[in-house]
Amino acid sequence: MMDEDTARRVVYDAIDIVNQQLPASKRLRKAPETVIVGAGGALDSLGVVNFVIAVEEKVAEITGAAVQLLDETMVADGSPFHTVGSLARHIAARPA
Amino acid sequence: MTTPHDRLYFVADFNVELLARQLSNTTLPGIETAIAPSGPVIAALAAGPPAPEWSAIVWTRPEAVSEAFARACASEPADHERALDEVRTYGAALGRFAARARSVFVPTWVLPPFERGWGMLDYRPGTGVAQLLARMNVALADAVGDVPSVFVLDAGRWLACAGARGWSQKLWYAAKCPFAPPVIELAAVDIAAALDGVAGRARRVAILDLDDVLWGGIVGEVGWSGLALGGHDHVGEAFADFQRALKALTARGVQLALVSKNDEATALEAIDRHPEMVLRRGDFAAWRINWDDKAQNVAAVLSELNLGAESAVFIDDSAIERARVASAVPGILVPDWPSDAARFREALGSLRCFDSPFRTGEDRARTAMLTEERSRRSALADADSLDDWLQSLEIAVTVEALAPANLDRAAQLFNKTNQMNVSTRRLSAAELAAWADTPDHCVLTFRVRDRFGDYGLTGIVGLELTGSRARLVDFLLSCRVMGRHVEETMLHVAVAHARADRASTLAAELLPTPRNKPCLAFFARSGMRPVSDYGFEWDLSKPYPCPSGVSVADHAGVATSIDP
Repeated sequence: MMDEDTARRVVYDAIDIVNQQLPASKRLRKAPETVIVGAGGALDSLGVVNFVIAVEEKVAEITGAAVQLLDETMVADGSPFHTVGSLARHIAARPA
Repeated sequence: MTTPHDRLYFVADFNVELLARQLSNTTLPGIETAIAPSGPVIAALAAGPPAPEWSAIVWTRPEAVSEAFARACASEPADHERALDEVRTYGAALGRFAARARSVFVPTWVLPPFERGWGMLDYRPGTGVAQLLARMNVALADAVGDVPSVFVLDAGRWLACAGARGWSQKLWYAAKCPFAPPVIELAAVDIAAALDGVAGRARRVAILDLDDVLWGGIVGEVGWSGLALGGHDHVGEAFADFQRALKALTARGVQLALVSKNDEATALEAIDRHPEMVLRRGDFAAWRINWDDKAQNVAAVLSELNLGAESAVFIDDSAIERARVASAVPGILVPDWPSDAARFREALGSLRCFDSPFRTGEDRARTAMLTEERSRRSALADADSLDDWLQSLEIAVTVEALAPANLDRAAQLFNKTNQMNVSTRRLSAAELAAWADTPDHCVLTFRVRDRFGDYGLTGIVGLELTGSRARLVDFLLSCRVMGRHVEETMLHVAVAHARADRASTLAAELLPTPRNKPCLAFFARSGMRPVSDYGFEWDLSKPYPCPSGVSVADHAGVATSIDP
């Protein structure tokens, strides 16, 4: 189990990683409302995969347990991956 | 430190997009990248890069190059010798591809860190996968060893530095790239350093502080005998080891210099007398040891060495001094420096700015050259006049055509000569050789020695003949011999060769840069007829005189028989 602040920092760490792959004008802001997946997002499919795997790695580093976040429902309407904030809440709500 | 001219083409049998994005967006922002169409690597190699000025990364998985290796990975019977044959075939394809590219970088093959193969038998010849892969990497390096524009990069080091996080099986399954961001980042910085090196942007001098950098303690307070250096002490050992690493750097052609706030006599006494010093006075190309501003001293050292700030690295334990030099000497590299001497060697090793594509005799002999140069300067101090001193040097110039034996050094000179350089063309060894092989082109190299020693290959002339007009396309001379009548000797030889080719005019058109004003000044005083602000001509009905006191041995043609 991880609190929401820690989960948000995990997402920000992953943003640091994927931002290196993006041009300066398209880099993701470290803010809860930043869109990750869906309309207005800056990541293409490779970027999303890289981002989610980075989040998984960071969560595993902190909790010591492997997590599985990468699945096809990520891109569905109402997906918790839509924004930084919703993803942090999703990670924090996962059972230990 | 890329330029708009850097272009990088990717050929891979996995999704290399992450690496291309890392390079173009972070490591080398602005670099132009392109990725070969998906399909067999061999087909992409046969198709070549988009144009000859492109450099390329060719990164493959070993099981995709060698069917025999793939069988070994599956623990099936595998012919290891056949795997090596497949590697040699692949190496030959790389060589043909490289002939159409500026430079080619080939990461070594690696196995996933979790892959244990045959366990304790994995290095047994004829059985182990790890043993076979090691042989394949060596065979690959051997296969391209004679191709000067191909560089095999050690991907194993990237994986070792990244640790278990460097390989992502999940990323492989999901995106067909096995290398996770930590490896991608390390690969990108090594590739960027390699591009810098090929383009002649490697740093050439390390300017060092003394106290708590080369030794532990303040020599002005504890005296040389009280310094922490060598001996049975882990701190002293760390400083001695750092000095050994610096000494090794000099064998790669990097010069060392000192800028230290100290009493000069006290500091030099320590360098000369401390029994554990690895670096002695003769290892340093220049020094400023005084109480003046370090930024001014760094500038003075660079001026003495005829080097620009972009050629230098400044290493100091004081964050204040580092900040001062970084702000006052634009272009110099000032790395963060650890406070723990045990980390100095690692910090030096992590600097990729010294990576050079060449290893020449001139680089290996640089320390001896420094000693010789000090003898010359000592003789200058005793001479009645500059002209007397020049005459006393007994300068001998040997002219040779460009050849495989001098190609690396010639290309190195092309890529790092700034001041006496008429066109400042930056060419790789392969590009230079191709230019020299073009009809009506001629590249002459100049080796210089005097009674104190050998300066090595220090000058190059590139001539192009168009009808009756010869053009001095390249005229470049190392700053080590500038002002010693070698420039005039090179012009003498260039004129003789152009006359031998029955040209009527020799033209030189200088392309001005911020650094090549000495070249313009030379042509302005050379006696050639100015035809524009930067253009000069010589009427080839008459020879250009060879300076008195200089002897010439021309092994490149008929020049000296015409204009002795």
